[in-house]
Amino acid sequence: MASTSVSLKSFTGLRQTSPEKPHFPTAVSVCNGSGRRSVIVASRTSPKLAGRNLRVAVIGGGPAGGSAAETLSKGGVETFLIERKLDNCKPCGGAIPLCMVGEFDLPLDIIDRRVTKMKMISPSNVAVDIGQTLKPHEYIGMVRREVLDSYMRTRAAENGATVINGLFLKMDMPKERNGSYVLHYTEYDGGKGGGVGEKKVLEVDAVIGADGANSRVAKSIDAGDYDYAIAFQERIKIPDDKMVYYENLAEMYVGDDVSPDFYGWVFPKCDHVAVGTGTVTHKGDIKKFQLATRNRAKDKILGGKIIRVEAHPIPEHPRPRRLSGRVALVGDAAGYVTKCSGEGIYFAAKSGRMCAEAIVEGSENGKRMIDESDLRKYLEKWDKTYWPTYKVLDILQKVFYRSNPAREAFVEMCADEYVQKMTFDSYLYKTVVPGNPLDDLKLAVNTIGSLVRANALRKEMEKITL
Amino acid sequence: MSVSMALMSSLSAPNLQCLSYQPHPQPFPKTHFSFPVLNPKRAAFGSVWVPHAVADGGSPVAVEKKEADVEGNGSPPVVAAVREGGEEEVKKFEDGRWVGGTWDLKKFKKDGKVDWDAVIDAEVRRRKSLEINPETSSNDDPVLFDTSIIPWWAWMKRFHLPEAELLNGRVAMVGFFMAYFVDSLTGVGLVDQMGNFFCKTLLFVAVAGVLLVRKNEDIETLKKLIDETTFYDNQWQATWQDETKKE
Repeated sequence: MASTSVSLKSFTGLRQTSPEKPHFPTAVSVCNGSGRRSVIVASRTSPKLAGRNLRVAVIGGGPAGGSAAETLSKGGVETFLIERKLDNCKPCGGAIPLCMVGEFDLPLDIIDRRVTKMKMISPSNVAVDIGQTLKPHEYIGMVRREVLDSYMRTRAAENGATVINGLFLKMDMPKERNGSYVLHYTEYDGGKGGGVGEKKVLEVDAVIGADGANSRVAKSIDAGDYDYAIAFQERIKIPDDKMVYYENLAEMYVGDDVSPDFYGWVFPKCDHVAVGTGTVTHKGDIKKFQLATRNRAKDKILGGKIIRVEAHPIPEHPRPRRLSGRVALVGDAAGYVTKCSGEGIYFAAKSGRMCAEAIVEGSENGKRMIDESDLRKYLEKWDKTYWPTYKVLDILQKVFYRSNPAREAFVEMCADEYVQKMTFDSYLYKTVVPGNPLDDLKLAVNTIGSLVRANALRKEMEKITL
Repeated sequence: MSVSMALMSSLSAPNLQCLSYQPHPQPFPKTHFSFPVLNPKRAAFGSVWVPHAVADGGSPVAVEKKEADVEGNGSPPVVAAVREGGEEEVKKFEDGRWVGGTWDLKKFKKDGKVDWDAVIDAEVRRRKSLEINPETSSNDDPVLFDTSIIPWWAWMKRFHLPEAELLNGRVAMVGFFMAYFVDSLTGVGLVDQMGNFFCKTLLFVAVAGVLLVRKNEDIETLKKLIDETTFYDNQWQATWQDETKKE
């Protein structure tokens, strides 16, 4: 009965180009060279490997690849980590939740800054500070990707993985049921990733594709495509007195001018700030959105000099096929980036670890051959653990990023302490803690109230012309 | 009965608007840029806004509203042109009643009480002005206004009641005509119709229809919304379908 007056304009992020029913990439039926099919054979009946351990190649040495390689090598599997550019500065927001520091034993010195305050700024510049409910030991860690990635790779190498500086080219499927995958790659010297390398070949029993949004491994197994957003970012060195403001504060700007379906941000890095924005549907206008973001932060970044411009695709949902034979995808290659916040580092590392654990378990510490069913266990575990998180963030994005009134309501709601506490608890610890039902009810009523008011104002706005 | 059901509809009209389709995402080029650009300011803020004609002391350009007269100290909102660095003209939103990042309610007094409709009007103008010309957010004069300071009955009176009147009118007309029509066809009177399950269903459909479909475009919008609620699930379905096919 309570018809909410959420502006029911259909959400930008989901408009189709053609009027037909959206065609979702469905799984292509697998035509496996070896011709085996239908019955999943349990790993217990897989043959024991004679005289050697299971060999697994991890393609891609980011958080996903690094954590997968570490877990594999700790578990007794012979691991090869292939990374094309060992000093790669991946364009990235660089925010990691608190739980990642604990779960992955990250040393505190790779965290450049601890963000303890966030400012949400609405289309009409209403600014709300969130972070008042954070306890003194809680923070969002800002890292430099090159530092984090290199640390995780080094740790994997210390545990016995072989780090290869090379570019993965293609993969030959196994000829028989327990045959090996043959990987073709170009090996480089000196870790710089440029110049001429040697063509090499590597034979392994299983492959983990952790090579990011434009994954070649995904192409090799015909994993299908996903919708993706473009994130565009400029690194700006601002004067020291302005940098003080961003000491441990990050900002999020919402508005149609900044992005029709995402947000613009100012994140502090080691000695400069990263100002950026992103979009799924209006990729052609990204420069315009970036200008608008800089305009909104103008006073605070006045006098700044742009030192670097970067952009990268961000997957919006998992690929149709994340696993084929003994090849599995993890991290961005699989499409594990959340909606609403666009968070990917933690999920990449976690999925790498989960996949590696499934391999270690299925192979009994590297003693047995594994097969597809072992890797499927990783997918099931992942979906079960994180599907609710993804779904909730998707709903939040659909409700609160759909129009300017919704964004105004969003920022208004963020002023509420209960909202702040719930948001940070779920972000920092990646668990949804059930709150007090009475508070939840009050929150629901307030949310609806905010949405109604903002939409009512918007309707009036349409009637007038300035 | 239909009237009372319509009255129970709580909030004002969902604005079922729909924008046109957007082009399909283009494949992303693999390279990412890393060229340094010096002195972004000149390049960035090159867009020059044409200054509006300034409303000179007359009443605001706002459309006819019952309480359009801004009384008290209210000077009509003036859009001032500010010269910045001698390069572009940047308009900032200014209004005599906007003090310290929020509306000063003392300036909206009418007969000793705060004129909430004027506050709503002022906020509407501010948001409109910011939508057309987004401004930089500033630490020196932060915006602190929260719409919840305007009491709920002011919102009701201004937004909900006129819409509710419209919808109740529609339902009453439809209800009366349908009752007459059914009576003439079947001979079942109004009281007996109310007891019949089929008629109650029709009544429910009529009320829901009037609530949800307020303009012609709403039908399309509703269909899109239903698609939207399942869109993300569909995107994930593709990956789950792959798994069930294997088993």
